[in-house]
Amino acid sequence: MRLITHNMLQCHVKGCNANNFPLEFQEVELEQEEAEMNEDFLRNMLTKLEYDALVSTCLKLGINDLPATMPADAAYNDEFLQILHRVILETHVKSGKMICPNCKHIYNIRDGIPNMLLAEHEV
Amino acid sequence: MSTSKKNPLHIPSPFQAEEPGMTPEQKEQEYVHNVYQVIAPHFSATRYKPWPVVEEFLMNMPAGSVGADVGCGNGKYIGVNPSLFMIGSDRSSNLISICSERGHEAMVCDGLALPYRPQFFDFAISIAVIHHFITPERRINAIEEILRVVRVGAKVLIFVWALEQSGKRDFDKNVQDVFVPWAMPKKAEPKQSRDRTQSRAQGVRRNERSNVHQQPSTSLSSQSSSAAVTTAMTSLNEASSIDEPLDQLKMKSDQADKDQDQKVLTTHNLTFEEFASTRENAIQQTNVQNEQTQPSAKESEAAPVYNRYYHLFQKGELEELVVRTNKASIVQSGYDRDNWWCILEKTTS
Repeated sequence: MRLITHNMLQCHVKGCNANNFPLEFQEVELEQEEAEMNEDFLRNMLTKLEYDALVSTCLKLGINDLPATMPADAAYNDEFLQILHRVILETHVKSGKMICPNCKHIYNIRDGIPNMLLAEHEV
Repeated sequence: MSTSKKNPLHIPSPFQAEEPGMTPEQKEQEYVHNVYQVIAPHFSATRYKPWPVVEEFLMNMPAGSVGADVGCGNGKYIGVNPSLFMIGSDRSSNLISICSERGHEAMVCDGLALPYRPQFFDFAISIAVIHHFITPERRINAIEEILRVVRVGAKVLIFVWALEQSGKRDFDKNVQDVFVPWAMPKKAEPKQSRDRTQSRAQGVRRNERSNVHQQPSTSLSSQSSSAAVTTAMTSLNEASSIDEPLDQLKMKSDQADKDQDQKVLTTHNLTFEEFASTRENAIQQTNVQNEQTQPSAKESEAAPVYNRYYHLFQKGELEELVVRTNKASIVQSGYDRDNWWCILEKTTS
């Protein structure tokens, strides 16, 4: 699971509608894997990202590369786009847990695959 | 059914609510999720050629668009247009493992409860998925859930199986809810692991009615099909909850892919389910020569058959569901390869 994916995930347990993002990582094993840079995609993501959540999540994982606030010229700031690419597209979570800050539901990640299935009563 | 020419293993039968006490969720678990979980490697090996309508839809997306493939199976559409970023999800962890092995972003989740932030995606596809939901309400909910996670203005492409199809399948035009059998090739599978297969496929009903006893020599040869597929199948079943290193599985299923490609080079234009039956024919021919070399073949049983539940859509039915969501308009719709398809655009959040 790439870090970009974490930024679009929220807890979807029935009735858990507030403070359900971002899910908190625990016991995470990371891996870097090179990927081709897609600038169109990165620019498109600038408006979609919850940037503050991305930065705080990264800091907890020991990734300090991102500036605290998104540069005003982000779309054409090559240096920033490169960092963003490395963080959201090349950083993979191989295993770990994601915990809902609200209802504390635990989603497991194994072999790089998050299991977001809920039990029947949670849907 | 008057389909004597057709392989009896591929004749659909009406879906009967045999267990009236079961909830729709339980029925889908038993007749959809459990089946895909078991047939995943074989199913995946028969799914590699993108359908043209889907391919065109993806190729027409602006570069850099972010999309969700809901019910992505082995992920065969995720890499079609490399300028896009797509995330796949599926109920079957075995299919998602294959998808992830191919380097695609993928997760296990339910189509009725997607874990994505609202309005996130620029587009979505859901190919041959919504026909597996058992009630009209659940089919609408599935469309609504996709619409929830795409932004206003986003396009969504949906494919569902058609009742009106004429081809390999003879569907009774009065019966929309059916079981469609999936015949699993099962050659050299050791007896003990076959038993294990059976016990792991909890709740999966093998279609015992399905001519197990009236299959003459063709059944013997049809079951002695691609060993590679069977091996992949066996090892998956033996791996307790996917503990086996997945690259082994990948290699096996890749080999199965190649085997199939070689055997059925001419099947590329075939439709959704035709591949499997044509494949069997090809294998039957291949195996005519092999039969003497397989003394155990006589003792084997018929290939295991797994019944999947389908709701077959009538003309206009998909569009009607879309309209009932009140959140999207229909941009384009059509019929292709035994499926009704529809491109919708989200109009309100």
